Amino acid sequence: MSSTEAQHGDEIVRVENVVKDFRSGFGLRKKRVLHGISFSVRQGEIFGFVGPNGAGKTTTLKILMGLIRSSGGSASILGHDVRETAFRKHIGFLPENPSFYDFLTGREILTFYAKLSGVSGSQRAERVATLLKWVGLTQAADSRLRTYSKGMLQRVGIAQALVHEPSVVFLDEPMSGLDPIGRVEIRDLILRLRAEGKTVFMNTHILPDVEMVCDRVAIIVQGCIRYQGDTQELLVEGERETELVAAGLSAHSVVDLEERFAARLRGLGDRIELRFAEKNTDEMIRAVLDSGGRVVSVAPQRASLESLFLSAVENAEAPESGSALTGMGEVE
Amino acid sequence: MIAARRILAIAMNTWREAVRNKLLYTLLFFALLLIAVSVFVATLSYVERERILQDIGIAAIRLFGVAIAVFVGVGLIHREVDRRTVYTILSKPLSRTEFLIGKYVGLVFTVWMQMGVMIVAFAGVSLAMDAPLGAVHAAAFALTGVELALMVAVATLFSAFTTPMLASYFSVGVWVVGHLTRNLRDLGAASDSGAVAAITAAIHRVLPDLEAFNLSTEAAHGLAVTASDVLLPVAYGAGYAVILLVIATLIFERRDFR
Repeated sequence: MSSTEAQHGDEIVRVENVVKDFRSGFGLRKKRVLHGISFSVRQGEIFGFVGPNGAGKTTTLKILMGLIRSSGGSASILGHDVRETAFRKHIGFLPENPSFYDFLTGREILTFYAKLSGVSGSQRAERVATLLKWVGLTQAADSRLRTYSKGMLQRVGIAQALVHEPSVVFLDEPMSGLDPIGRVEIRDLILRLRAEGKTVFMNTHILPDVEMVCDRVAIIVQGCIRYQGDTQELLVEGERETELVAAGLSAHSVVDLEERFAARLRGLGDRIELRFAEKNTDEMIRAVLDSGGRVVSVAPQRASLESLFLSAVENAEAPESGSALTGMGEVE
Repeated sequence: MIAARRILAIAMNTWREAVRNKLLYTLLFFALLLIAVSVFVATLSYVERERILQDIGIAAIRLFGVAIAVFVGVGLIHREVDRRTVYTILSKPLSRTEFLIGKYVGLVFTVWMQMGVMIVAFAGVSLAMDAPLGAVHAAAFALTGVELALMVAVATLFSAFTTPMLASYFSVGVWVVGHLTRNLRDLGAASDSGAVAAITAAIHRVLPDLEAFNLSTEAAHGLAVTASDVLLPVAYGAGYAVILLVIATLIFERRDFR
């Protein structure tokens, strides 16, 4: 990558005020699915793009991949407008639930993608063999793809995204439909890509994975970016909670504590687990003891990405807009 | 040069997909069967056995050639979008135009290859029945090849924006009307109404004149053809196909793959 390719310092992906309207009903009806979103991805990081189903994650990724044209705003990768094609030799893409020509074998499909990506003939066979070994498909390399399981197709998808040694990799729901072992393998692979200096953009709704691997995260809800920033900072900024386990409380006392401290309850046999805001810890302990109960344990809880995510979804409101298009509603 | 390599990669893959498609072999089987039956039909006649033999043979090659061009061609782009294989391909350094041209070239190559098999069968039965084979036959088959390439372009155009079902209706419609536009123009010219003459002439100009590629009568009767009888239709067919592919590309470039 030349210095001119990264126009904005170390920003590898730059999305500015991107809007997308989908037309339906002979083009008379418009539905706005992206409301001027902006974010950037820095070199060498794993960026998590998180949101519930239908939030606009895949639409955004398709705009970046040139599969969908944005209705407004700009998007660039490595300093190039996403509508260009030549720079794509530097990027790899794994779509959600990837689909391939099932009449080809694993080796044939990777050779085909290597050709399209400009891998030279002298390096092609070796590169394909390396990738097949890397994703654990050497044994099945000469079987037709129609005989592959979902997990094996996901591995083919990863191999084709990496066959030309891209510097930026885009993954759409890479853990989707995988068993726990498959998820761990993909997670390790993503971390390995970062260790090799590659930039990884990951669309996902599996939050524990995001917490574990992503350096930065953006949360998109209803086509708007709600949070964006360093994953650890987001978690620190989030409201801290305390988990208290108590015993010997009457049903009446439990209801009273739940209401007074806006606590969340979970029954643990003859004990009860209460989760509440950290600032109320001292008062809660006193209240439990005053109610004749016994404090079994008290543990501080770090805010999880899940709680931030749920908070973002709950707080999501249709954006105010001067245009006729608002929220997710349809307009004539 | 690099673009040519990418187009070739798509074309080779399209050819590989087509030759692994059972529909293609079914159509080829019936074409070869019809050519074989032409021998039987010809032996029933006391006169012009060779002409009947070659009439049926050439008709079989044209008919089944068009069937392959249309029924494989109409799903060419739609299948890629429907199966989502287009997602990974277009994320590579490949333009949509290169992709579409590659698909087109691959299918034309496949159709021509199938036509070659049918021509070999035709030549075999002609030699077995002592029917003449000459330059006029080569010219007739060359123009049939151009017509099929044009029909693949028609099918590709419709495939770029509609479903295979509608695309097949439209493509077959263009093929049928394309063989009638010349007669339509002549009928319009003979009418008393200037407006009718103008309309039929316009239809003839806009829709492909597929009769321009029909030398089957000349071939069956062993009539002489001139260089211009072949070269002009070749230029016409190539120009028409290019226009259709440009339109298909413009439509395909604007599509959102949701």
